[in-house]
Amino acid sequence: MTTPAASNADFASLTLHRLKKIEIIVHAADQRPVEDLLHVAGIGGWTMIRDVAGVGHSGFHQARSIFNDQTGLVMFLGVGEAPAIARIARGLARLFETLPGVTFLSDVEVMRSDYFARSEPDRV
Amino acid sequence: MTVLNHADFAAIDTPLPSRAEVAAMVSLAARTVAPLWPLESAIAVNPLSGFEDLGFDEAVARAARRFGARDHMALGTWRRLLQAGRIDAGALRDAAIAVLGGIDAAFSPIGPDLSPLDLLMARLIDLPASPAPAAAPLPADAAFVAKWCAAFFDQGMAASPMPHRDLGLYRAVLALAAHDRDYRALTGSIGRRLLLSVPRDPHDAIAEGLIMLGVPAADQVDYLATLVARLPGWAGHIRWRSDHAEPSDRAGAPAGMADLIALWVLLERARAGRVPMADMPIPDADADADADADADAVGTALLGHFHLAPAMLAALQPEQRARWHQIVTMSENALGRIYMTAAETGLRNDLVRRLRGAVRHDPPVSRADAQLVFCIDVRSEPFRRAIEAQGAYETLGYAGFFGLPIARAGDGAGGRRERLLPVLLAPQHDLMTVPAQGQTAAAEHACAAAARRSATTRVFDQAKQGLATAFATAEATGPLAGAVMAMRTFAPRLARRLGATLTPPADPLLAPCITGFTLAEKLGYARLLFRLTGLSPATARLVVLAGHSGAAVNNPYAAALDCGACGGHPGGFNARVLATLLNDPEVRTGLAAQDFALPETTVFIAAEHNTTTDAVTVFDRDAVPASHQADLAALERDLARAGTINRQLRAHQLGRSADDLLTAAVNWAEVRPEWGLSGNAAFVVGPRWLSRDCDLGARAFLHSYDWRDDADGTVLAMILTAPMVVAQWINCQYLFSTIDNHAYGSGDKTTQNVIGRIGVVQGNGGDLRVGLPRQSLFADDGTPWHVPQRLLTVVLAPFDRVEAVIGANDILMRLFGKGWVQLVVIDPHTGKALRWATDDETSQTSETPNTNSENQP
Repeated sequence: MTTPAASNADFASLTLHRLKKIEIIVHAADQRPVEDLLHVAGIGGWTMIRDVAGVGHSGFHQARSIFNDQTGLVMFLGVGEAPAIARIARGLARLFETLPGVTFLSDVEVMRSDYFARSEPDRV
Repeated sequence: MTVLNHADFAAIDTPLPSRAEVAAMVSLAARTVAPLWPLESAIAVNPLSGFEDLGFDEAVARAARRFGARDHMALGTWRRLLQAGRIDAGALRDAAIAVLGGIDAAFSPIGPDLSPLDLLMARLIDLPASPAPAAAPLPADAAFVAKWCAAFFDQGMAASPMPHRDLGLYRAVLALAAHDRDYRALTGSIGRRLLLSVPRDPHDAIAEGLIMLGVPAADQVDYLATLVARLPGWAGHIRWRSDHAEPSDRAGAPAGMADLIALWVLLERARAGRVPMADMPIPDADADADADADADAVGTALLGHFHLAPAMLAALQPEQRARWHQIVTMSENALGRIYMTAAETGLRNDLVRRLRGAVRHDPPVSRADAQLVFCIDVRSEPFRRAIEAQGAYETLGYAGFFGLPIARAGDGAGGRRERLLPVLLAPQHDLMTVPAQGQTAAAEHACAAAARRSATTRVFDQAKQGLATAFATAEATGPLAGAVMAMRTFAPRLARRLGATLTPPADPLLAPCITGFTLAEKLGYARLLFRLTGLSPATARLVVLAGHSGAAVNNPYAAALDCGACGGHPGGFNARVLATLLNDPEVRTGLAAQDFALPETTVFIAAEHNTTTDAVTVFDRDAVPASHQADLAALERDLARAGTINRQLRAHQLGRSADDLLTAAVNWAEVRPEWGLSGNAAFVVGPRWLSRDCDLGARAFLHSYDWRDDADGTVLAMILTAPMVVAQWINCQYLFSTIDNHAYGSGDKTTQNVIGRIGVVQGNGGDLRVGLPRQSLFADDGTPWHVPQRLLTVVLAPFDRVEAVIGANDILMRLFGKGWVQLVVIDPHTGKALRWATDDETSQTSETPNTNSENQP
């Protein structure tokens, strides 16, 4: 978002909080390492979109096969405080030395910051 | 956004790995091992699944180094197969010529009447082979970690559970290790200090350990993977717990791969503190010297074999000397690779030739009295041939879970939820069971008897293991137990009959409760059967859906004889669900509304083929209308005849009588009730007429498929990305278990012990064993029954359609391109066959893209 929220009349009545958003797209077979990483990094939660298709360096990536959940791509979408997202990015940098995948980082504003509060990192 | 401007991101280059980085590295390292399923739902997996991104040969070599395994089967064992006529001598010669660089190079003279091919064939067939090295004992540190893994992961078998399990594996061991004599012996005073100072979180402990041990950042993942590979069995169990287990399996005892690695890091830190790094042994330091000595010995043996004087070597021209050097320095692993190539090309040439022969004739069109849909399992193939020979029967092959993403809710054996589908899928429906039609009283009686037996067993086990009750229990029940043991040993069939009288089997009396499906789902699963197999809606009066199961007593690997597509469970339950759906009037009406009406006279019947006894059980016969009872009776007579024929065939292969196989199924001392999927080698995708005239010797998975009903290749993609992938796992498990039964298999059954209800160990401890036991792969004289070779997939479909399907699916590009599965496509119009070239082959020729293929002989 290039326009500050406070200067936008449409959002004037809202209390918005700046956070970081991370989007991660990996092969479905590589879903588990990303989940482990998100758990350890301690963000409050994330969204996962299964059965993602698209075009990449190696051509068109087919969506999930009906009999194999490990085919196709999955997309993770997480929002959190910058330190937590930074931890995830560091871990992803390690993962992507070996696994194929892409990630996008961006600034976002949310209405309920407590909804994205840091959680106690889980055991993996 | 400029990420590195933000303070929180600026530290990415810091040398101390963060917890998230450690989590990522642990995930990557964990992939070194394949998940290891517990015994009750044994799933075949490729023990080298973590290396599948590499080409097959490179993967085998790297895994061999990491696990301390052989690359290929021992030369002497391959020779047994050659002598038994199970390796084609011509194919072996062709493979040797190819390794030497072609005909010119293979036959260029190297001496009087001596060619490089002569030398290589002598090495392959005649020269003494090295004796198989004895298995190294488990190092003390690995035995320590394995001991605590066994205690921590116990599933209620131990009389005294390990304390502190709720803390997780790593922290629980930290809490107890100070009292462990083995730990003190391993680590000394440094170990005691480390127990007090190391981080309590396994990720933090790993991060600190990597720094303290001085592991460079670029080597950290590889270092952690080496630690994981030290105990591949327990590491595989942890992968299963993390990725595939039910939450109840993990309850009260959390543990991930980080726990296991953190334990290893603890031991490594103690070791590094006790032994100066400069004094640590460097593995393979003398490898070059050993190789030179071996080459000299081989050279001397070759000279002796051909009665040549050593002086002839001095007279060799440079090119001849290079040939000589190539052959004498070839390792026995490399010779084993030539044998495997021979096995693969021999099968490929033979199978493709026979299948192409069928394409040249018009497919037969006939009306069947009954159609029988079997699992694609290789054991179905000879049975299908046997039943087809009994009358006008048409058989088809379909994945044995019948396309149903279901689980059986926890009213099954032991009250556990059973996932009745391939591990590639997650269940979408949990089904309960209810008494089958007309079996209410019998089902209630059987369930009550099963509950009594279960309770009695539980009480007996507790009394047997209790400190205060063990002797009293032995005194009180000893005579009865002795009598039962004698009967089980000397009259196993009588013991089984008595057992069945006291506790009748409940499963046939319980039917799946078909609730929770929407009509759309029912119609979808019903249509899937026709879509994937090419089965015409003009069905016969009877359509039998036949799952399968094995029969074994006192056999930890009993689940490995059941249906792999059903998650290592019997396939009858799934067959009953789909038969019920297809007989449902609402479904039949719905199919008709989709312009896919089935004849009103068609009745679907569920059955289960027992692959050990070759008996076929028909389920829910009370639900079969009177109008079809005579048809069913005739079919059952023919199924019994087919069973007798197949049992005799299998008995001959096992070297025993057909009647003895019935005993084997109930004998608690039996180590080889059947050959299972041993021998599996091919996956054929096409209509039955393609292979009906071929005796494939129980070596082929047969998936029915009609390319004419699959214009966009969707069905072919489904078959190749799921059933074929499962077949590849099975193939690789058998392949590597045979190549090195110590490293990739589980060794001799007679010295195994079940541990923690999750796996077996050899003797009284050590690593959890992966793979298959020796008796499942080798005859008693040491000759392999299973020939280790990669899966050969043969598809009858237009070339361009197959090419498009592979190009759109990464998993297929990898399996075919990296050489894990070989593919031959037969064009249905011309009968021409093409083989898919591997990435290495296309990069060598580079004249055609990977998606093109080369001619098949």
